[in-house]
Amino acid sequence: MWFDILPSFWEGAKVTIELTLFSAVMAFFLAFAAGFGRLSKHKAVRILATTYVEVFRGTSLFVQLFWIYFALPLFGIMLPKMLAGVLALSLNAGAYGSEIVRSTIISVPKGQTEAAIALNMTPWQRTRLVILPQALVMMLPAFGNLIIEMLKGTALVSLVTLSDLTFVATVLNSSIMRPTEIFSVLLVIYFVISLPFTRGIRWIEHRLSAGRY
Amino acid sequence: MWSWEYTLEILPEILAALKITISATFVAFAVALVVGLILTLARRSAFKPLSLFAHGFVEFVRNTPLLVQLYFIFYVLPEHGLSLSPFVAGVVGLGLHYSTYLSEVYRGGIESIPPGQWEAAKALNFSPIDTWRKIILPQSIPPVIPVLGNYLITMFKETPVLSAITLVEIMQTAKMLGSHSFRYLEAFTIVGVMFLILSYSSSLMVRRLEVRLNLR
Amino acid sequence: MSVPLKLIYHEEPTRSIDNDPRKAVIKPIVTYSNISKSYGDLHVLKNIDLNIAPGEKVALIGPSGSGKTTLARLLMTLEEPTSGTIEVDGEMLWHQRVKDKLVKANEKHLHQVRGNIGMVFQHFNLFPHMTILRNVMEAPRNVLGLSKEEAKQRAVTMLEQVGLAGKIDAYPAQLSGGQKQRVAIARALVMRPKVMLFDEPTSALDPELVGEVLEVIKAIAAEGEMAMLLITHEMEFARDVADRVLFFDQGRIIEQGPPKKIFNNPESERLQTFLSRFNRH
Repeated sequence: MWFDILPSFWEGAKVTIELTLFSAVMAFFLAFAAGFGRLSKHKAVRILATTYVEVFRGTSLFVQLFWIYFALPLFGIMLPKMLAGVLALSLNAGAYGSEIVRSTIISVPKGQTEAAIALNMTPWQRTRLVILPQALVMMLPAFGNLIIEMLKGTALVSLVTLSDLTFVATVLNSSIMRPTEIFSVLLVIYFVISLPFTRGIRWIEHRLSAGRY
Repeated sequence: MWSWEYTLEILPEILAALKITISATFVAFAVALVVGLILTLARRSAFKPLSLFAHGFVEFVRNTPLLVQLYFIFYVLPEHGLSLSPFVAGVVGLGLHYSTYLSEVYRGGIESIPPGQWEAAKALNFSPIDTWRKIILPQSIPPVIPVLGNYLITMFKETPVLSAITLVEIMQTAKMLGSHSFRYLEAFTIVGVMFLILSYSSSLMVRRLEVRLNLR
Repeated sequence: MSVPLKLIYHEEPTRSIDNDPRKAVIKPIVTYSNISKSYGDLHVLKNIDLNIAPGEKVALIGPSGSGKTTLARLLMTLEEPTSGTIEVDGEMLWHQRVKDKLVKANEKHLHQVRGNIGMVFQHFNLFPHMTILRNVMEAPRNVLGLSKEEAKQRAVTMLEQVGLAGKIDAYPAQLSGGQKQRVAIARALVMRPKVMLFDEPTSALDPELVGEVLEVIKAIAAEGEMAMLLITHEMEFARDVADRVLFFDQGRIIEQGPPKKIFNNPESERLQTFLSRFNRH
């Protein structure tokens, strides 16, 4: 039996990992755009960014995915499954990520900005040389957790029939009817994929608390 | 494209299913509150196997998808003689999943208690049970109430996942209505707007609570 | 208007403008005109007029909360005055002229004028993610546009001057408070400002580390060319370094003059009370 199911799981795992990585990259950009947008001097930008964040945090990934996949086509926008999945995952995670970006940026002590002003740095130099490098390090653990949440979120795409790990498992289960083995293996696979991230986060947190900060 | 007539036609049905969504949320939250506390205490236990088990459980459950955990409870347990209804399987799955998050919240609250409190309890000869019951928990839980409130909202938003194990809450109702009429737009939009309004307004309430707690 | 401002004193000539017979010829490097600053109902500075001559060392003393720090922060553009104007080297700081109208300065204008000023903070505000060397060379490189070699050269020379050439690869967290403040001084000096602001540079230090920082500041003061505004609680130090001492209380300059006069013959009662607190120990 294992000879039959392991290759299928491998195919599913590739889709799951691809989906996670693509979405993570896009979410990262969205998080910065929206995070900075919420700190913008311009009211219109702030309102736009805040609306995006509140809408996507106020509903769940599940609802967003189904809306993008089933409701958008009625506007004539028919997205391929993979794209719909990446879009839903990254829009959702980007909204949470923007909060990480915003909160770490405002947590850099005010004295840092003041010292940068006293050295006559331009606003962009202050951000690039002084604020961001400090904020980025603080963001890392939170972004690591966000990626794990995204990995877990990818399971939902099986419900719109994208052939990820979970989808493969449900299909296998309906043909060979061995739920105990199949779902146990499935859980373990997800756990194993998440391991490098959990280890990485722990390592960074350890470095941060022991390090020069 | 958007039909108000159809919207009004299906709205009552979706609203009726909101009862299931909300009761699932609260029952699951109760499960998470209790199991989360047990996990926290177990992780602090001096009995190594227990603390290791609790730690492993938290790690494993936190890092695997809720959907798959629900499948496990709903499809695997019956194989071993434990058949659960969609509602029970759903609240157990959702509750266990978030108990691992809540155990972290409790842990943060407990760790923020200054060591002097433990020492004072010892000096006054409190039993371990009384130390927890009278000194530590009463101090560590109130400050984390807003965080718990936010998790309640998160769990509320996550309930659509329960539709995957055939629980007829609002998302499942919307899916069924949509597949009947081939019109998903209105049904899914109603669900989205409902979640948005309820979770946004409750998160504003939590924020107010937080401000009030901070003032004290 | 602050009346006691034009107190007349006839002491030995110093670099100070307000008591210099050549007043008319020396152009001040900094001019505060009728400056006020308030936060809501709290009036931190009340109609301050003050000139600082090029190279002049001005010490600001007074109880905490008297507005000394705010005066420096306005000049560093960290805070905006509620009313009044500040000129630096003949240029308006917070205002600029657009078609004969005085309007609020934009970031570009601030950037241009701010380059004349440097500041050392009470809490050092070193950049924790950079080595000592990078802390000092980052601004020359990026703001002055020097080449990497030039910037490094300048930074190393400056760090030698404050006695920290051996620490260039350390991170701020590895230094003592006194060393951190000396790095902060080097970081400000390397930009070669015409005016340096020291905002209670030793108040956050352990008592045994105060001396090394004061020595460094004294050495810089002795070089002469740079005007300095020193906010300090170290009266001995103010007496040694300053050309002129200003006593601040409740947002006004109550009394000013050469250190000898301020410390030996304080006129106002408030200054006498303030100084007696220091003399007791």
